[in-house]
Amino acid sequence: MQRDDQTVTRRDVTMPQLGMAQDAGKIVSWLKAPGDAVAKGEALFEVETDKATMEVEAQAAGFLTGVAAAEGDDVPVGAVIARISDSAEDDTPAPAAPVAEVPADALPEGHSVTMPQLGMAQDTGLLVGWLKSPGDAVAAADVLFEVETDKSTMEVEAGRDGYLAATLAQAGEEVPVGGPVAVISNAAPDNPVARSVAAAPAPPAQEAKPEPAAEPARKPAAPQPVLQPTGGRILASPKARRLALEQGLDLARLAEAGHPQPYHVSDLDTLRSLPAVTPAAEAGEASRRLVAEVPEDGVPAFAAWAAAAHGLTDADAILAGLTAASLPDPGPVAVERHGTMTTYALPADRALSGVAETGDDPALILRDLRGSRLTNVEMGGESTPVLTLTPKATGLTLTLECAASRLDARAAIQLLTDVADRVEQPLRHLL
Amino acid sequence: MREITLSQAVNEAIAEEMRRDETVFLMGEDVAEAGTPFKVLSGLVEEFGTGRVIDTPIAEPGFVGLAVGAAMTGGRPVVDLMFGDFLYLVMDQLCNQAAKQHYMSGGKLTVPMVLRTNLGATRRSAAQHSQSLQALVAHIPGLKVAMPSSAYEAKGLMKTAIRDNNPVVIFEDKLMYQDKAPIPEEDYLIPFGEAHIKREGSDITLIGTSSMVQVAEAAADMLSAEGISAEVIDPRTLVPLDEAALVESVKRTSRAIVIDEGHQSYGVTSEIASRLNEKAFYHLDAPVLRMGAMDVPVPFSPALEDITVPTPEGVAENARKLCSGELIHAA
Amino acid sequence: MAKAKTNTEDYLRMYRQMVRIRTFEDNANQLYLSAKMPGLTHMYSGEEGVAVGICEALTDSDRITSTHRGHGHCVAKGANFKQMFCELLGKEEGYCRGKGGSMHIADQSHGNLGANAIVGGSMGIATGSALRAKLQGADDVTVCFFGDGATAQGLLYEVMNMAALWNLPVIYACENNGYSEYTKTEEIAAGSITARAEAFGIEAHTVDGQDVLAVNELTQDLVARARRGEGPFFLELETYRYHGHHVGDINREYYRSKDEEKDWKENRDPIVRFRGWLVEQGIATEDEIEAMNAEIETDATEAVAYAEAARYPDVSEVDMHVHSD
Repeated sequence: MQRDDQTVTRRDVTMPQLGMAQDAGKIVSWLKAPGDAVAKGEALFEVETDKATMEVEAQAAGFLTGVAAAEGDDVPVGAVIARISDSAEDDTPAPAAPVAEVPADALPEGHSVTMPQLGMAQDTGLLVGWLKSPGDAVAAADVLFEVETDKSTMEVEAGRDGYLAATLAQAGEEVPVGGPVAVISNAAPDNPVARSVAAAPAPPAQEAKPEPAAEPARKPAAPQPVLQPTGGRILASPKARRLALEQGLDLARLAEAGHPQPYHVSDLDTLRSLPAVTPAAEAGEASRRLVAEVPEDGVPAFAAWAAAAHGLTDADAILAGLTAASLPDPGPVAVERHGTMTTYALPADRALSGVAETGDDPALILRDLRGSRLTNVEMGGESTPVLTLTPKATGLTLTLECAASRLDARAAIQLLTDVADRVEQPLRHLL
Repeated sequence: MREITLSQAVNEAIAEEMRRDETVFLMGEDVAEAGTPFKVLSGLVEEFGTGRVIDTPIAEPGFVGLAVGAAMTGGRPVVDLMFGDFLYLVMDQLCNQAAKQHYMSGGKLTVPMVLRTNLGATRRSAAQHSQSLQALVAHIPGLKVAMPSSAYEAKGLMKTAIRDNNPVVIFEDKLMYQDKAPIPEEDYLIPFGEAHIKREGSDITLIGTSSMVQVAEAAADMLSAEGISAEVIDPRTLVPLDEAALVESVKRTSRAIVIDEGHQSYGVTSEIASRLNEKAFYHLDAPVLRMGAMDVPVPFSPALEDITVPTPEGVAENARKLCSGELIHAA
Repeated sequence: MAKAKTNTEDYLRMYRQMVRIRTFEDNANQLYLSAKMPGLTHMYSGEEGVAVGICEALTDSDRITSTHRGHGHCVAKGANFKQMFCELLGKEEGYCRGKGGSMHIADQSHGNLGANAIVGGSMGIATGSALRAKLQGADDVTVCFFGDGATAQGLLYEVMNMAALWNLPVIYACENNGYSEYTKTEEIAAGSITARAEAFGIEAHTVDGQDVLAVNELTQDLVARARRGEGPFFLELETYRYHGHHVGDINREYYRSKDEEKDWKENRDPIVRFRGWLVEQGIATEDEIEAMNAEIETDATEAVAYAEAARYPDVSEVDMHVHSD
């Protein structure tokens, strides 16, 4: 079809896609000059791709105008580099051809030094500063740069002998862990490169992990599956696990009881038939027992005085108040006697007159066995500490028992000492 | 209810559909007077003539290609591929052409054709006439795959396939052609994508396809005598697959073995087992087992051939292990 | 130049269809070169006389199967630019809702059963379409387009055998453009191409594919005979593709010379030749032809702009059309 004689509107001349996987082409030469008349099919310019050099033909007849790319330019495929117009005088410029990004400072060959992982959960490292300059000769043990992580600042060594051919981050920049920071070349670089993280394109091919000067945190060893009793992973079918979860059953108890794994649904019956968990289990826990003796029980006299002088007639409230005041963090104290228990709270101002009954759980139980024949108790620590008062020929024995986890040794000693003092001489150790 | 053979059931299904719809026609190697080597199609040429029961040259890609073109332009061909092993010959026509026309044309073109073929070893036919290649075609989007397990399924699925607007590949078990099953007198169809619970059970689900449904049922008999209650399910079509029915069954029994005569690796059993793992995981009290044919070309010697395919004894043994909690790792 | 039709409108439509193909391909090439078109494509430019000469002898109820180099067949069989460009760009309004692309355009409304990206892949389909016509007593004819390269596929011989055995109304149209991808046909094809068909007793013809009237005249005759049950037939159409095997096949001198390309373009171009004949016969004036060209160019430009602005299919369509209802 002949259309040369036809009026053609302004058409873009673009960098053609010539290869199967080609992003850009280099303009080797223009075969037409701006303003030249061109026929459709006439060669306009020569392009060099990875494979070969080719002539690109005009797709329309007209005049070459608006040339926006020069010989030697690398132009991305599809970019407009000129126009074919119906007038040689058409001065509408073609949009500037974006020259393909060929980094002027293409990286020298060498081994990449990357940002080491220094912390456990660290994604980036802050480059504090360079201790070598681009072009410097470096030895493997030379410190190249300093890195700051969430924890500390560390020095990173070159890791090999050579020359610092490129620095790829500037002081103050964050570099992703594993990201390239420098290139060490074998030979002295002709054009050492210094640039910032922002300007970095793809990392070079080879990577050599540097040895950070500081020992990186050691990863905990993977837990070994423990097949027999407790502690480790329990082997059970998905259905057995789901049913156990839904029914509040603990498969670990099967393991503790010595039943062989893996567990299936049928093993849940066995699990249900195991004896119920009792406080005895807790009794198995380490228990504290401390005993104090006081030569004289000062409480009755004190209570009598308080009733007469201040109208405080509830002796148990006074006893609870005196004991509560001994607690490191005063909480409710229950007085237990003859199977009944009443809990009292000490007011914030610690006034004995303000002690009142409370429904809160006690922080300590005062078991008053003064009127009984028991002289020595050893009940085992319970979840709430128990302070037992037992009679002596003269005076009292005070026994404090609790689970080891509830009070540490010092607190337990302090508590019992305070209470003993107060019981012996309430007035001298008022709140 | 009368009893007929699987062979007669296929013959009846095709004859009924050819009477019902005159665009339906048969083609393949020796389908007319010979009625195929298995005599499945005997008598059809007498009723419908050589115009609709067409003997083709021995040119599988050619006549499958013709079927695709006829189907795209208003015909409803039923193509006989004498042995399932010959699927390899027709892969381009089936998988590149038939399977993709509807999709590539954005829904404009349809390919309503049926490719009848077979599966099954232990006929002493050696490696090129004994394969069960259903996984190969079930892998290709655009094809449907039916796996009748008895004469009843063979008839109902064939009639549905002929009326379906997609390319359907039906695998018949060549050892079952003379097996009889009760068949209703009246017309019936079996919808695609509906599994059939062959027998109910509570301890384990045995999922079998085609030839392996019998194997599963025989295993279930053995297990029943030992007090293990096995449910047997036949998916009936691999594409579409009645996943919900399989998952529901396994949720009830909490154990499953999937049995198919194709090679075990990358096969039908793998696919179904994988779906059960995904959809019924928290209901599984034992790993889902796959039982397919051994990953070897089918050997000729009977001494070797018989051990390459799943047997009722093998299925029962695995079921026992699963139910006793003995087996942790798949066989 | 052979003279087949006496109707002026028919001649002008033949010219018009050839220019439409050339214009479509020029625009498709531009879309590819400017990286606006996904994938790649195979240009039909240069072979217009074949598609138009044959398709102008067919009706909408006659079917064709096409090839990877299929835009020409599609246009010649009556497709419109907008839906074709939309398909090339993967847009919702394309002939295949963007699911087929350049190598799978099907236009059932005009009897185009679709392009096929497997070389020789549609030979079975075309022959099957003819089998269906025969079984159903329909009088439509199916033309199977394929290239010289596809004669190396075994499927051709299987289906020609059956077509000949059963006298199917199918015409095998071998577009011999001299090159099987990047290799001269004589290096991949032993013996004569027409003799392949003749071995099955199929009547075979060789015709100048650059002479649209010769192609049309012969095809009209064969189509009429095929309708009467005298098929199948085989045509070897000598033609030439102006572009490479595909759009990126630019550097072609290792398999064919620029002089050879120049010779076909300058001396044997089917459009130039037919245009000269139209003017010489007084069927159209140069001005009328220029006006027609300009109108087609505008049509193409608008269709490209339309397709570029058109919507992509919704992602929900990705699993639609796997199976038919």
